[in-house]
Amino acid sequence: MNRRAAAAVLLTALAALLASVILFPVFWMASSSLKPRPELFARDLTLLPVRWTLDNYRNVWDGTDFPAYFRNSFEIAALSTLLTVTIGLYAAYAIARVPFRGRYAFGLLLLATQMVPHILLVIPLFLLFQRLGLFNTHAALVIAYTAFSLPFTIWLLRGFFEAIPAELEDAAAIDGASELGTFRRVILPLAGPGIAAVTMFAFIRAWNEFLFALVFLQSHELFTLPIGLASFQEEYTFRWDLIMAGASVITLPVLLFFLLMQRFIVQGLLGGAVKG
Amino acid sequence: MALVSLLNLLPAAQAFLVSLQHQDVAGRTSWIGWANYAAALGRGDPFGPSLAHTIQYTAGSVAGAYLVGLALALLLSADVRCRALLRALFLVPWVIPDVATTMLWKWLYGDQFGILNTLLLRARLIGEPIQFLADPDLAMASVIAVQVWKLYPIMFVTLLAALGNVPPELYEAARLDGAGRARLFWHVTLPLIRPASVVISLLGAIWTFQSFDIVYLLTGGGPADATRVLSTLIYDKAFYATDRGYASAAATLMLAVLMALTVLYLLAYRRDRES
Repeated sequence: MNRRAAAAVLLTALAALLASVILFPVFWMASSSLKPRPELFARDLTLLPVRWTLDNYRNVWDGTDFPAYFRNSFEIAALSTLLTVTIGLYAAYAIARVPFRGRYAFGLLLLATQMVPHILLVIPLFLLFQRLGLFNTHAALVIAYTAFSLPFTIWLLRGFFEAIPAELEDAAAIDGASELGTFRRVILPLAGPGIAAVTMFAFIRAWNEFLFALVFLQSHELFTLPIGLASFQEEYTFRWDLIMAGASVITLPVLLFFLLMQRFIVQGLLGGAVKG
Repeated sequence: MALVSLLNLLPAAQAFLVSLQHQDVAGRTSWIGWANYAAALGRGDPFGPSLAHTIQYTAGSVAGAYLVGLALALLLSADVRCRALLRALFLVPWVIPDVATTMLWKWLYGDQFGILNTLLLRARLIGEPIQFLADPDLAMASVIAVQVWKLYPIMFVTLLAALGNVPPELYEAARLDGAGRARLFWHVTLPLIRPASVVISLLGAIWTFQSFDIVYLLTGGGPADATRVLSTLIYDKAFYATDRGYASAAATLMLAVLMALTVLYLLAYRRDRES
């Protein structure tokens, strides 16, 4: 018994060591962002800042277009997530419950859309948005993000809905609930983990997305965080103090969101996506 | 709902149409048949080398990510404490935005102030800084390392779930038959997680084959085109050289490879579900 406990402690220590090696880049980003600028380029690198400071964050926020990037990213991500999840819920429920011809083929089709490379789609979409006068607007990104998050959202939620026994709905119907009422009061609460997972996916996808934003936006004041930060490379060469603070700001919301909800996310990911 | 699919698939069809056209500087288009494909597949065209780089990048990243993911999944499916916390920590690289991932790796890789070079120099393992991203012989490996870092978490969490589904009685039975640890792994564990492994590796290959952000942001396809993959080639052609016909042709060829991978994936996925 004691030997087993010792082995467990040893393995845990090994896992913790590996985790710290793997997460070192993230730690180093955070640590660098909290160092005064001279310390970043000092000969003697220290793991933690010798003098802790929030100056880099202040400089990136007050001295660059970063606040505008942040606002743009947040608005686009929030709006496209809302659209994705609302449409996705109804669509997935219909696919899971309403028998229609070609249901299986439709599922495959949804999956197939995931495999079409964005680099292929970005060219015709660019031409299309240009023609519609949507080039260099946020609307282009909201449309694109919603369209591209929907297939995965529907596919994942469908798995959750199918796992809910139809008898529950029948029972609600006998009790006099309308179809919409059943959906709202019986089904939605049960699909909670799935909804949490897809919300998170849609938001993170839009928040992180790079290629579409790079191609569809032109004006600096419309930039989202990813392309805004990437543009720092040319604009503020060697300003690693600003870049590390900016990178931390982009990462922080996603990381917090993930760590708070990781149970749901992993459950949703495995429940809906991997096991079907 | 059909609309959703249309929104995704119509542009793909349109890209195919664009690939049959030539657009001149003034924006006028003319139909030129398969000429863009002939150009891409012709001798001396960057398409061939870019495809080779893409395959190298994909194979290296998927193999690396699978091994890291499997090792960590095996570790966490053993008797360890704080499993939930460790699992969450191992998943972190997956949620870091690509732009942050590339910036922080560039910062690590730096030749003057990068911590990797600083540590290696201090340990006297190297005499002068390694040019991780600027040396054409090293750049691909450096880029693959970043993609492995990003890709392994999804493999890890899938394999962890697959390992959790292995019935413990099987291990007991094999152990009673006198099987050692290595044999247990080869003859019991590995065959049982094989379906999940195939599915997640193919999915990883599909993602990596078309991925753009990491390579574009780390090297832009350089140095000396050493890391130029199909996606960065297509981007350069479409939005710098404004040769959208050629770019669409290259992208359509890329799609053909991806479709082959996708068919494999769907077959593997169905088999996985049936077993």
